[in-house]
Parts: sequence; C-alpha cells; structure tokens
Amino acid sequence: MSYFFQIVVSGIVVGSIYALAALGLVLVYKSSRVANFAHGQLIAAGAFIAYALTVWAKIPVFFSFIISMGATFFLAMSVEKIFLRRLIGEPIISVIMVTIGLASILDGLIYLTPFGSENFSFPAFLPHTPLSYGGVSISWTQLVGVIVTMVLIGGFSWFFKKSTVGISMRAVSDDQFAAMSVGISVQTVFGLAWATAGLSAAAAGCIIGNITGLNFDTLHAFGVVVFPVVILGGLDSILGAVVAGIIMGLIQQFASGYLDGNWGLNGTGEVMPYVILLIILLFKPHGLFGIHEIERV
Amino acid sequence: MEIRNRAFQITAMLIMVALAFTCQVHAKEYKLGLSLAITGPTSDAGNPYAKGVEDYFNFANETKILGKDTIHCSIRDDQYKTSVTKRNFEEFLDDGIVLYLNYSTGSTLGLKKDFEEEEIAVIPASFHAGNLVDSNYIFLPIASYSEQVVSLAEYIAVHNKGDKAKVAMFIHPSAFGRGPVEDAEKSIAAGLNIEIVEVVEHGKDLDSTAMLKRLMSKGVQYVICHTVQSPVAAMIKDASRLGIVAESFGQEGKITFMGAHYTGGNDLIALAGKAAENFYWTTSYNITSEKNDGTEKQLALAKMYNRDDKAANSHNYANGIMVAQVATEVIRRVKEKGLKINRENLYKELNAMNGANAYTPYTTVGPVTYSATDRAGVDMLQIYSVKDGVFRKVGQPITSEFMKKIK
Repeated sequence: MSYFFQIVVSGIVVGSIYALAALGLVLVYKSSRVANFAHGQLIAAGAFIAYALTVWAKIPVFFSFIISMGATFFLAMSVEKIFLRRLIGEPIISVIMVTIGLASILDGLIYLTPFGSENFSFPAFLPHTPLSYGGVSISWTQLVGVIVTMVLIGGFSWFFKKSTVGISMRAVSDDQFAAMSVGISVQTVFGLAWATAGLSAAAAGCIIGNITGLNFDTLHAFGVVVFPVVILGGLDSILGAVVAGIIMGLIQQFASGYLDGNWGLNGTGEVMPYVILLIILLFKPHGLFGIHEIERV
Repeated sequence: MEIRNRAFQITAMLIMVALAFTCQVHAKEYKLGLSLAITGPTSDAGNPYAKGVEDYFNFANETKILGKDTIHCSIRDDQYKTSVTKRNFEEFLDDGIVLYLNYSTGSTLGLKKDFEEEEIAVIPASFHAGNLVDSNYIFLPIASYSEQVVSLAEYIAVHNKGDKAKVAMFIHPSAFGRGPVEDAEKSIAAGLNIEIVEVVEHGKDLDSTAMLKRLMSKGVQYVICHTVQSPVAAMIKDASRLGIVAESFGQEGKITFMGAHYTGGNDLIALAGKAAENFYWTTSYNITSEKNDGTEKQLALAKMYNRDDKAANSHNYANGIMVAQVATEVIRRVKEKGLKINRENLYKELNAMNGANAYTPYTTVGPVTYSATDRAGVDMLQIYSVKDGVFRKVGQPITSEFMKKIK
C-alpha cells in the first residue's frame, strides 16, 4: 500500500512543479492570447541567474532565488518591451512567430555563457535526509517546491481575481480595444504579464534545477514539456494549470509505477499523459477549465 | 658597373623569391573537417571535445610533428542537427578534406552511405556498434557502447555475491541508447550469468521514485545506465534520497549504479553532487583524478592553450585529443612512407594500425588497433568509481570476453 501512496505523493510533487512551470505560459496567454515558445529559456535563465548569484557572488541561496526571480521579472519585461510591444494589434500568429525567434535569440545568448554547454548543481542547502512516513518519502527539495508552487499559484489567483491590475489584465485578454476604451494601458498590461511569467519561470527553474541539476537542455525542455498541462487545464486558467499539472503528474507516476516493466510496456510514463490529454480534449476541446468563447457576429 | 650591380641585386632577389616560393610549395596543408554540437543538445560533451581536437592539431602544427606540413581542421557547430552535419560534411568535401571527424550517433548513422560513396575514413565521437554495420569507412575511437555495457555486465557477473545478478538497464530513448541492449541480451544467451529484469527508457523525469521502487520490488541489484549524465544524475539523486544506493559494490538490499562513457565523468559529479558517490563508470580514457603521464600531458596541453579547469579535466577533452592524435599519426605514417596524403592512403593506413603498428594515444588506457575486420579503436576499458567526490580506478583495464563470443 505504501507503494501506492508513494506514487500519489510523487505524482502530486511532479504535478505541482509542472503547474508552476506552466503558470508563466498561462499568464502570458491570459493577458495577450499568445503562446510563448520562449518560456523554457526563461525557466533556464532564472535557474542560471540563481546559481551565479549563489556560487559566484556568494549570496545566500534563499536570497539568490529571490533576486533571480526579480531579475527574470525585469528580463521578461524588457523582452516584451523590446521585441513584442510593437506587435500589439498585429495578428496573434505574428507574435507567436516572434516568440519562436526569441527562443533562438535567448538560446544563442545562453550559449555564449558557460551555462550553455556545462553542467552545474546548486550547493546543498536543505537537509539531505528526506521526510518519511509509513514508507512514503519526500525530499526537502520536493516539499519546498510544492510549497513555493502553492504560494505562488495562490498569490497569482488572488492577483487576477481581486487586484485592479489583475482585473485589468483579464480585461485586456478579453478585448484589447474595449479595455483601451476604458483607460487601461494595454502596453503596461502586456509588460506586466510577461514580467510575472518571468518571475514564475525563475521559481520553476530554481526548483527544477535543484532536482535535476543545471543543464540547459534539460531546463529549457520544460518549456515544451508543460504545454500539454496548459492545454489540458485550459490555456487561460490558473486553476486549470494546477489541476492539469497534478493530473499529468499522477498519470505519469502511475503509468511508470504500474504499467512500465509489465506486459512488455516501457516508457508509458512519457506517453500516457498525452493519451489522456487527447481523450479529455475529445470531450472538452477547451481544456478542463478553459473558457468557451462565443462570438456574436 | 652600376648596371651590373643592379642586375646582380635583381637576380639575387629573384632567386630568394623563387626559393621562398619553392619552400611554400613543399610545405603542405592537409585539410580535415569536424562537425559537432558545440552548442545545443549534448554540447556539454561536444564543447570540450572540440577544444581537445583544436588544441592537439595546433600543438601538432606548432611542434612540427609533420615537419613543415600542417593540418588544417575546420571545426563547425551543427547544434546536434543531422541536416546541418550533412551540409557541413558536403562543404568540407568541397574544401578537399582527406579525413572527416564526426560526432553524434544519429548523424553518423544518417551519413553512413555518404561516407561509403565518398570513400573517406571517418572517426566519430559516437561509439555506437551499429555505426560499423554495413560500413567500411567508420572507425570508432574506443570500445563500442555495446562493449562498454557488456563489460560492465561481465564485471557484475564476476563480482556479484550470490546467484545470478538481477540487472536493470536505464537507457536513452534513441538508437544511441537502445544499441547495446541487444548485445547484452545476446551475451546472456551466450552464457553471461546475469538476468536483465527490465529495460527502462527514461524521459524528462522529475521524480524517479516509482521506477526505483518498482526495480527494488523486482529484486534489482544493479542498474546499468547508457544515456547522458543529466537523467542519471536525477535518478541517482532520488535513489540517494530513498537510501537505496549501494555503499560497496553489490551491497545486499541496495542498488549499485553503473554507466557507460557518456553517463559519467566530472559532469555527473557536477550535476548529482554527493549522490554520485559509489557510481561505477567505464570508459577507455584516462581521467585526470588518476594521474599518470598521459593525464599530465593532457593538462599541459590545456594549459598551453589557456583552457579552464573544467575543460582541461573533462574526459571529452581527452576524447577530442585522442581523435586528433590518431588523425595526426595516420597522416605522419603515410607521409613517412612517401605516399600521397589522400583519402585512399589514409584509409589503408588506418586499417594497418594494428599489431606492431598499433598506436597508443596518451589519453587512453590501451592502444588503438584497427584492421579491415575490426574498426573499434581502443579495446581496453577501465572501470572507475566515485570516492569522496572524484572518480577513482577500480582494478586494471579489462576487455569484454562475451563481445568476442557474440560477434
């Protein structure tokens, strides 16, 4: 039975981290209807900045993470200002293409640094001995990852529902011209959406980097790995990202735990989330919590 | 008188120019090409590899290993994309290369037919045994991945306490990863006393707990990894957290983790930290944490060309040096015989690199031996294990017995 519960715990842990990594995609989509293909690069950048501050600048790791989130906040905001602001009002596909180009530019810039082709790991700052109860264990890194995810997701949910800026962002997402007509600065909203996406990406990068080590290929791949999570949850739903993340994490862990290695099956942990995604999308094409928009013409 | 002086001066000048020109004509430049991932996936291996190749060729030119002749090796980044590798290779051919150095398994398999058509000898950084199938022109620098994995399996069979050892394989989901599985299974069929309980093709796993607990429940004692460092690091971190990593080889009730060339080295320690402790790894290269003449030369070369410590101590830097050494040596031998340096003669000379003509680069644990029927270079493998944060030698170099049986 402990095996079952271990898989549940692992699934929730992995799912939470997926949700955090997916959050940035949701934030950008929620305000601008753009799928950001450079999200993985922001995840990697956040992790590398935190590492550089911790190891090279000798700043305590906790503060490094906070500063890294701040730095990535401004990095993403600058990226939006330089590359994307002039595309406001242009077809969405143009903006998406720019994010693909942006991914290449960020790749190139990271390859100019040692992080592009070397491996690193954060110095250990949490207890090595995991928390164990009844045969189920969770590492401190994972636990901190889950807590940070929940805090950030809770914070962003509140921000979008209750704060004036959050409501402005939702209004821009709904209709840019209508939002402008009531005095909302679309430019500021887009910048803020990218900035908050950068912040959440840095948090995800720091957590993933602590788990896997700092390898650029591994880190930026998470920008793509979490796409199914965002699609399943509904592209513009923060709650959807959380629920879909945890569903994906659980499916992955259960498939790996119960299917792999039996009946000649292998690698189902990678495939099953996509199979379930396809099945769910057959019945709910907008994802679990996505908004089904009806346009009157 | 003045006219005669001027005529003499002009004649002397013409003679000097002619002499200089003649010298230039005699000093030849041999063109080689290397296409690899300096950026992009696997660039953590490709980057130091490129540095090793570049530094050794510079060293060979500066120390006049080929006399006045020099080697010009064009090194181009292909970002691990076979289409780019192909384009680079074609441009190298247009430049008139006489030997080609390739990198990945995918591109080596993809361009195999091109190498045959062009009749050009190729030394890749991929040690995939499948590279040699239906190929006459590919020369693996060291023992194939299959040989590495089977050697590790043989080591398990010999050193396991108790009955037949239960082994799982943890592999990359690609031709590169899957290659050695079949040879391991053939070796078992030929009498190798281990049982492969499961073959796990990994993904981008953030938590390997379920997989590790499943392996434990199946009684797995050893995991042989054949992939790159990052997924191995993530897995052994989880194993360390679960307290299931064997502290000594084959410790009962625990799992001993092992891996082939690209799973180990300093990069694994950089990624996994303390969790890398007691990881067993095999390669044909000397490593700088076990000092000898070869590693001293490797470090001196890195110092000469201002490489940082990370590159200098990388086994992939050693890998690059070794490939460049083989290329230089084969050119030197052809030249020594007074033959023209061209694709055909270099190919013949590589095939003759055996017996008394075997060549021992300073970065490997054994000699390079090629022949018309054996195009895997260094057959010897050294097993290393992480102790106190560095890889240490375990015993003497070995060769696989079962690979000879199943060939």
